[in-house]
Amino acid sequence: MRLTIPMLAVALGLCATPALAADGKELYLDNCAACHQPTGKGIPGAFPALAGSKLAQGDPKEPITRVLKGRGGMPAFSSELNDLEIAKVLTYARVTWGNKGKPVQPAQVTALRTGAKGPTTKPALAH
Amino acid sequence: MNPNLMNSGAGVSRRSFLESLGGMGGSALLMAGMSALGFGIASANAAPPELGAGGKGKKVIVLGAGVAGMTSAYELSKAGYDVTIIEARDFAGGRCQTARKGFKLTELGGEAQECDFDDGLYINHGPWRIPYHHHSTLHYTKLFNVPLEVFVNDNDASYVAFAKGTGPLAGKAIRKGQIAADTRGSAAEILAKQVKQGALDQQMTAEDREKFLAYLTHEGYLNADLAYKGTDGRGFDIDPGAGVDPGPGKASMPYPLADLLHSNAWRVLSSVTGYEQQRTMFQPVGGMDQIAKGFERHVGKLIRYSTLVKKYRQNDKGVEVTVAGPGGKTETLKADYCICTIPLSVLRQMDMGVSPKFKDAIGAVSYALVGKIGLQMKTRFWEEKHSIYGGHVYTDTPEINTITLPSTGFQSQKGVLLGYYNFGASAAKISALSPRARQDFAAQGGKLAFPEYADNVETSFSAAWHRIEHNLGGWAEWSDDSRKDAYPILCEPDGRLYLAGEHLSHLTGWQAGGIESAWQQIAKLHKRAQAA
Repeated sequence: MRLTIPMLAVALGLCATPALAADGKELYLDNCAACHQPTGKGIPGAFPALAGSKLAQGDPKEPITRVLKGRGGMPAFSSELNDLEIAKVLTYARVTWGNKGKPVQPAQVTALRTGAKGPTTKPALAH
Repeated sequence: MNPNLMNSGAGVSRRSFLESLGGMGGSALLMAGMSALGFGIASANAAPPELGAGGKGKKVIVLGAGVAGMTSAYELSKAGYDVTIIEARDFAGGRCQTARKGFKLTELGGEAQECDFDDGLYINHGPWRIPYHHHSTLHYTKLFNVPLEVFVNDNDASYVAFAKGTGPLAGKAIRKGQIAADTRGSAAEILAKQVKQGALDQQMTAEDREKFLAYLTHEGYLNADLAYKGTDGRGFDIDPGAGVDPGPGKASMPYPLADLLHSNAWRVLSSVTGYEQQRTMFQPVGGMDQIAKGFERHVGKLIRYSTLVKKYRQNDKGVEVTVAGPGGKTETLKADYCICTIPLSVLRQMDMGVSPKFKDAIGAVSYALVGKIGLQMKTRFWEEKHSIYGGHVYTDTPEINTITLPSTGFQSQKGVLLGYYNFGASAAKISALSPRARQDFAAQGGKLAFPEYADNVETSFSAAWHRIEHNLGGWAEWSDDSRKDAYPILCEPDGRLYLAGEHLSHLTGWQAGGIESAWQQIAKLHKRAQAA
């Protein structure tokens, strides 16, 4: 679902942190938990923990870019999730499991999406 | 096609119009190029390097008993090297696996699965098809007497079941051959009528035009009026048969081009198949792991199973690999050289005493998220009710992607089909589900094509390669940048360490990539060992 600009504005106005994070939980379980685990603790030696992660809680630019573009074993979600959804799922990860990051606003995602160079990796082909 | 060509009547001769379509230098040059190639498909990678003897007294440790590791061990030990293979799992093959009754898998963060298919049924949840030009893979299937059968990689009778298009064909399952006949027939009709009306008279000689029309008529099954009205190859509404009823049967009518275009079903078509994907391919009889077992028959005695690599160190005298065996007992093995076939996704998190440049390069590649599920069906309804024997059902649901019908066991009672083959974010999503929930999801994925699909599901086995320990991904996915910067570094040895595997090839994700990379690296290692 892609929000139109007026709807996005309304959504932004209503998006207090708790609301962003609450919606983000479901998105997190759907898209992230397979690797980072529902607990946010990841799997040592395989998938990085988000709980307690400096990167996850720090400057939102880095986590937003990783979700948009992917990195290492992580896929790009730029065509899977819209800006509001990315803001929600990142806010959830930044304020849950004892994390104390600031919420991410959809506009911050929008700004980076525009600037983000698409992945140069060709789309996955069947083997 | 170059759009300028359509307006090129003034500047380009009529002959060179057709020639210019063939590429830079026209068809004369094309022909020269073809004969220069000798029409040959002979490949530099068709056979292992001739190492001869001379490896005697030299020790090599191979990390990983997948096809790259076992290829290295087989060829090096034949040349006299003293080879030890370290394998984390209690079986050989790496990703060359087959799930059948009793096969166990616990994904990282997941529930334990034990495959409970009926005897004789299996799913190749790793590699599953072999191109005819993967001479290296076929070299070993022949050498190790692994019987092959045809893998049906394209089937005109199978369905395209797209739900997301528009128009009357959206949300319907349509036979692929009908889509092919009707889109090509209609496209040929449009083009032929334009040509007939003189649209290309400025560009073509009369002779070329007649030949081109003859081709279009043939290609598109056009009638004398250059109209496409269907063709017997797209099937009949009533099949022809004996006597007067059904007698000649009743011809089927083509779908209108506009409906096909808006359904998006044409997206699965191309005039030829891809380089890696041919219409018929191969699979080993009885499961892909027959290849692993073929290797294992020859190098199994060199393998230390259930043994984890803890640390790698090297200096100008040799290498030291610290391993933990099945009981957890640690020991340090010494050798002259090491061949490491561990996927880079795993290797980048290991304690490797390599140069900083090499270490950075190891971390520069992405690995594919890939999910597959085998569904055991209690009847072969796709054969019995739909007359589809092998091939793929195409969907436009990315979490399902394709459903693949088995190319083996035709007309037997039950079968295992591939219920989804998903990638990237779609694979991440589905892999978050429990095995049971994956099965329930997959059971709904085939209903557009087959109304009886969900009711036939008995049991399943699923694998999400990004969550499988010792693999952490389906295959390497190099970006343009990392292919340029990191890849060449990793193709050369770091000290006494040689990497090999599908990730160090341009055949990523294919067993041939692993084998041919091993061939290259052992040739380099051998040359160096001989000189030492």
